[in-house]
Amino acid sequence: MVDRESSKEEPRIGVYICHCGLNIAGTVDVEEVTRFASTLPNVIISKDNRYTCSDQGQQLIKNDIKENNLNRIVVASCSPRLHEPTFRKACEEAGLNKYLFEMANIREHCSWVHLNDKIEATQKAKDLVKAAVAKVALLEPAIEAEVPITRKTLVIGGGIAGIQAALDLADTGYEVYLVEREASIGGRMAQIDKTFPTMDCSICILAPKMSDVGHHPNITLLTNSEVKEVRGYIGNFKVKVLKKPRYVTDDCSACNECSEVCPVNIPNEFDVGLATRRAIYTPFAQAVPSTYVVDKEVCLNKEGIMACDKCIIACERQAINFDMEPETLELEVGTIIVATGADVYDPSALLNYGYTRYLNVITSLEFERLINAGGPSGGSLIRPSDMKIPESVAFIQCVGSRSEKGNPYCSNVCCMNTIKDSLLIKEHWPRVQIYVFYVDMRTFGKGFEDLYRRAKEKGVIFIRGLPAEVVEERKTRNLWLTGENTLQNKLYKVNVDMVILSVGIQPCQDSEAIQRFFTLSRTNDGFFMEAHPKLRPVDAPTGGVFLAGCAESPKDIKDSVTQASAAAARAGILMAQGKVTVEAITPKPIPENCRVCGLCAQVCPYNAIIVDKENKLVEVIEAACAGCGTCGAECQFGALHMRHFTDDQIMTQIDALTEDDASKKIIAFCCNWCAYAGADFAGVSRIQYPPNVRIIRTMCSGRISSKFIEHALSRGAGAVLVAGCHPGDCHYIGANYQTKKRVERLWKKMERLGVNKSRLQLLWASAAEGERIASKINEMQVTLKGLTTKEVEKAREAFSDN
Amino acid sequence: MRLESTLIPKKIRESAKYCHECGICTASCPMAELLFTQYNPRSLLQAIFIDPEKMLVEDSLWLCAWCYKCFNRCPQGLKPPEIFQLLKTKAVKRGLFKGFKEAVKKIRNSIPLPVICLYTCFHPERAEMDSKLFAEALEELNTRRKLKKRKKTAIHKEKVAVIGSGPAGLTAAFDLAEMGYPVTMFEALNEAGGMLRKGMPEYRLPRKALRDEIRYLKTLGVKIKTKTRVGKDVSFNDLWRNEFKALFIAVGAHKSRELGIEGEGLEGVVDALDFLWKVNMKREVNLGYKVGVVGGGNVAIDAARIALHQGAKEVMILYRRSREEMPANPWEIIEAEKEGVSIEFLVVPKKIMGQKGRITGVECFKTQLGEPDETGRRRPIPVPGSEFFLEFDTIIVAIGEIAETTFLPAEVETYKGKILVDPINMKTSMKGVFAGGDAVTGPATVIEAILAGKKAAFSIDQYLTETKNREDTAW
Repeated sequence: MVDRESSKEEPRIGVYICHCGLNIAGTVDVEEVTRFASTLPNVIISKDNRYTCSDQGQQLIKNDIKENNLNRIVVASCSPRLHEPTFRKACEEAGLNKYLFEMANIREHCSWVHLNDKIEATQKAKDLVKAAVAKVALLEPAIEAEVPITRKTLVIGGGIAGIQAALDLADTGYEVYLVEREASIGGRMAQIDKTFPTMDCSICILAPKMSDVGHHPNITLLTNSEVKEVRGYIGNFKVKVLKKPRYVTDDCSACNECSEVCPVNIPNEFDVGLATRRAIYTPFAQAVPSTYVVDKEVCLNKEGIMACDKCIIACERQAINFDMEPETLELEVGTIIVATGADVYDPSALLNYGYTRYLNVITSLEFERLINAGGPSGGSLIRPSDMKIPESVAFIQCVGSRSEKGNPYCSNVCCMNTIKDSLLIKEHWPRVQIYVFYVDMRTFGKGFEDLYRRAKEKGVIFIRGLPAEVVEERKTRNLWLTGENTLQNKLYKVNVDMVILSVGIQPCQDSEAIQRFFTLSRTNDGFFMEAHPKLRPVDAPTGGVFLAGCAESPKDIKDSVTQASAAAARAGILMAQGKVTVEAITPKPIPENCRVCGLCAQVCPYNAIIVDKENKLVEVIEAACAGCGTCGAECQFGALHMRHFTDDQIMTQIDALTEDDASKKIIAFCCNWCAYAGADFAGVSRIQYPPNVRIIRTMCSGRISSKFIEHALSRGAGAVLVAGCHPGDCHYIGANYQTKKRVERLWKKMERLGVNKSRLQLLWASAAEGERIASKINEMQVTLKGLTTKEVEKAREAFSDN
Repeated sequence: MRLESTLIPKKIRESAKYCHECGICTASCPMAELLFTQYNPRSLLQAIFIDPEKMLVEDSLWLCAWCYKCFNRCPQGLKPPEIFQLLKTKAVKRGLFKGFKEAVKKIRNSIPLPVICLYTCFHPERAEMDSKLFAEALEELNTRRKLKKRKKTAIHKEKVAVIGSGPAGLTAAFDLAEMGYPVTMFEALNEAGGMLRKGMPEYRLPRKALRDEIRYLKTLGVKIKTKTRVGKDVSFNDLWRNEFKALFIAVGAHKSRELGIEGEGLEGVVDALDFLWKVNMKREVNLGYKVGVVGGGNVAIDAARIALHQGAKEVMILYRRSREEMPANPWEIIEAEKEGVSIEFLVVPKKIMGQKGRITGVECFKTQLGEPDETGRRRPIPVPGSEFFLEFDTIIVAIGEIAETTFLPAEVETYKGKILVDPINMKTSMKGVFAGGDAVTGPATVIEAILAGKKAAFSIDQYLTETKNREDTAW
C-alpha cells in the first residue's frame, strides 16, 4: 500500500471501555474487556469509566493523549452514529487528527441485544474491541474538504408547517422556494374551523401568515407545482419542479365572474365533497395566491379543443389563457425542508360504522367544514339527510387509530379535536345532547385538561367503550349505537341524530416519492424518521434535509409550528456557516496500480470519476463524490484507496473477528444508513438476537467487495451477512444494486465451488427494521448449526487461493 | 396477581395483552345480548391477567357460541373464541368441569333451543371433552322440557303467523307461545327445521335432537303447517287479511347465487344447498372421483367435508380471495383441511367445460387482490392470461345464499335478496310484519338467528299490546 506519513509512526493506542452506567456494564464484564484490551498489540493504555461521553470522560482521553503521547484512540461504548462526533472533537482538541479515532459499538450491538447472555456478550465485546484496535492502527490522518452552501431553501408543502418554516427563513434573510401541490397554500389548517385548546378561529390566525408568504420578497411561491427530481447533496441540491399551468394569469382580480358562468359543477375538495365548485375556481375565499385556477380534468376545454369560452368572455381583465404550458423549473438550493403533511383515515372500510352507507355518519373533517361559517352550510351544524340541526350527536374516537384494522398508532390530535368540536356545538346549540365514546381520553398538553373539564362542565357525556355497530333507523335516519360501557359492564343502546367519526391521521400518499427523492427512512407507521429521535428531532438522516409537521408524525398545529421553526433554525445554522466540510472518506486513485479499465467510473452513482484512457489518468471529483466506496469495491487492482474504509482496514477487522471460533460466527457487513442504523434500532428497542454476529460498518453496502466476503470465508467464518438499504432507498442513489450483483455473482461462484451458498445472505433492511435484522440473524442460526467442519474447511480452501 | 403464570399458554397471554378493553367484542356478542350481564367476553379476557386459576372454573368460558363476530370486529385482531378454546382444553385436562356444568345450567335457563345450540354453537367437544360429559349435559338440557311440560292456554286472542321454521322461526314461536299467543308456523318442506334440517349434516346435529325440540314446541300449542309454501299454497295477503295480527318472516336464505358463467347448466354442476339437502334426506348423490367446491363460506366448507364423507376421492375448494378474507369460521376451515379437503386460494372459475352435456372440468383465472370492495374485503381481480384447467367430475356451487322474497308484497322492502328491517325491533317497512334470521342478515350462525327470533318475539308482543290498547281506547 501507499507509503504515508502516519504509517511510519509506531501506533500508540489508548482504549476506553465505557460502562454507560449499567447500560453496558449490566451485561458486559467491562473490567474483563479492559484487561483484555491492554493485551492487544500497540495498546499503551486501557481504561474503563462510567460515562466516557461525559466531560470528565473526554478530559481523561485528552489528558492521556498528551501525557502518554497517544496517536490512536478507541472508545468502546455506544453507536458511532451517536457519539463518534463527540469523541472526534475531543481528539482534535487534544491535537490528534480526528480520523485517528475508532469506535466499538458494544451497547446497541452488544449489551442491549444480548441482555441475558453475559458470557457471550462479554466475548463479543472483546471481539469488537479487538477489531477496532486492529483497524485504528491502520487509520490515517486526513483533512476534510470544504464545500460552499447555497444560501437558499426549498420548502416542500404549504401547510402551516411549510408556511412557518418559509416565513422564518425568509425573515432571517434567506431566499425560499415554497412548493405546494394544490392551487393554494394553507393545507389542513385552512379546512379546520377552530383550534384547540384556545378555540381561536383557524383561518383567522392562518390567513395573515398565508398572505405574508404571498407578499414576502424573499419567498418564491410555487403553487400547483410538484417536485419531480432531486439531485446533489447537502448545500448543493439541484431540484426540478414541475409548475402546472393555472390557465389564469396574475392579472386575475379574483372577482368570481368566471366561476359564475362556468357550466361545470363538481364536488369541492376543500369542503370534502360537501359543496360544489366550478371548473374555474378558487379553493376557498382566503386562498393564496388569490388567482383563480382552471381544473383541466373537468373543464370542457381539452388539449387543443375549445368547447366553451364562457369564462373567457366573462373575464374583464382578460386574465384567462388556455395556451399556458407546464413549466419545469430548475432550482439550486442548499437546504430542504420537507413539510408534506398527512392524510386523514378513510373509515369506509369499517363496515360496522356505516360511513358512506348512512348519510348522517360523517367524519371529523367533514364536521369541521359543516361547523365553519365559510363552509357549505354557513356554519350551521345540519345533518345531511334532512338539513335539520341534530338534537343529539355522538362522537366515536379512535376510528382507524390504535387498531389492526386501521393504523396501529395513536393519531395524537383526535381526542382534543373531539373535545373542541363538542364545545363548538355546545356554544351554538347548548341543548344538543353530546356523547363521546372513547377508549382512552388523551389530554396531555398545555391547557388540554382544562378544555376537557370545560366539555364536562357543559354536559358532554363521555362513555368508555366503543360502539360495536352503528345502525340506521330507516324512517328517521337516526342512528342507533350499540356498545359496551366498559366501566359499568353494561351494554348500551344510544339513539342519536348524527354520528361523527373521529378519524385518525395517516402518512401522505406521496410520502413514498419524497422518501425516494431524499433517500429518507420511514418508520413502520410510514412517517419519516428523524436523524435522532431525541437530540436531532427535525433533522432528516440525509444531510441538509429537515422535517416539519405531520410528515414526521401526527401532531397538532402548535407542535407543527414549533417543529417548523426548529427546522428553519437548523437549516439557517447550516446556511449561516456558508460552508460544510465533507468527510474525508473519498477515494484516492493509486496510478501505479491502475489499468485504466474504467469500471470504477461505470459504477459510480455520482459520475464523480473521470477516466482519461489516453493519458492513463483517473481523477476523482471530491465535491461530487459522496464516499459510498462502490468504486473501491469494484476495482480489481487495488487502484483506489478508499479513505477511512481501506481494503487493509476492513481486512484487518475481518482477521480480528475470525481469530477464534470463526465457524460459529456470522460476519455481517452493514451499511451505515440503513442496516447498521437498523441494528442500532434493534438495540434501542432491546430486540434480542443470538450473540454470534459481528458487525462491520461501511458507509454503503456498495463498498463491500467480493474479496471481503471471500476473505471471511477463507478465514473459516460460519456465515456472512451483507445488509444494506432496500433497493430504491440507497443513500447513494443506486449503489446497492452493485451490491446485489456482486452477491449474486458470489452465490454462483459458491455453487460452482460446492460451497453451501446459504452461508452468504443478503438482506435489505431499513433503519426502522431492527426486527427484520434480528429475525435474519435468528434464521441464519439454522445454517450455522448444520455446518460441518468439513464444509468449513472446504470453503476455507476454496477461497484461500484468491 | 400472577401475571407470568405458566397456567395460561404464552401465546394467549401475548395476544390478549393488547386488548384496549374497548368493549366491541361484548357489544357484538349475541350471547352477551341473550344473557345480559351474565356473559362478558371482554372482562373474561382480562381475567387471564388477574386470576387465571379462577378463569378455568368460570362458566363464562363455556358460553362462547363461536360466531366469530368479536374477532371480525376487534380493533386489535384478537380471536376470543380461540383463546377461550385453549383455556377450555386446559380446564378439561385438569378435570375442572364445574364451569362447564354451570354453563349448561345457564344455557338451559336462558338460551332458546338449548340442545340444538349445544350441538351447533357451543362445541364443548372441541375442548377434547369426553362424550360422557357431553351426554350428561344433553340430559340436563332436556330436563327443561320436563320442567315446563304443560300446554299453555292462550291468554291473548291475536294470532301470530311465523313463516319459516328455522332457528329464528322456532325461537320466535317458542317465545310467543310462552307469552300466550296462538302461533301458527308455516313450513314449505314436509318437515319443520329449516336450515337446521336442510343444511346441517347429521354429524353436526342429530335429527332426533331437532325432532324432540319441534315436538316440544307442539306441546306448547304451536300449530305447524308443513308442506305449505307461502306464496304458492297460501298467499301472503290471505294470511295477513284473514287471521293473523302479526307476521314474522323467517324464511332463511335458501336461494343459491349462481356463478353466471358458461357451462353452469351442465350435468355435474350442483347447487350446494340442494346437495346438502339430498345427503340429509339420505337420497343418492353421484359425485364421481374429483369434486370441486366454489366458494369460501361455511356452506362451502360443509359441502366439501360432506363430499368427502360421501366417497369423493379428492375434494378441492376454489376460493377467489386469500385465507385471510375467507368468511367461513377459521375453526371449520382447519377441521376441513385436517379431513383432507384441499383449498386453492386466489382462483375464480372462468368457464365450466363439458363433453356430451357432462362436466369435465373448470377453466379458472388466477386472481390478484385489489382495493377493498363494499364488504371491506379486498376485491379479487382476475389476471388476464392466467387461465388454467382443473379436472372435476362434479362442481358444487356455494358462493352465497339469498332469501326467496318473491312472495312478499311490495310494501315489504328488500335489498339484494335481504329483507330490510329496523335491527332494533325487527320491524319491516310494512306495519305488523317483522322479519329476522338469515332472510335479513344473509347466511349467518344459528345463535344470531336465535337472537333475532327472540328480539322479534319481544317486539311483536310490544306491537300487539300497543295496537290492542289503542283499539281499547278507541272504544
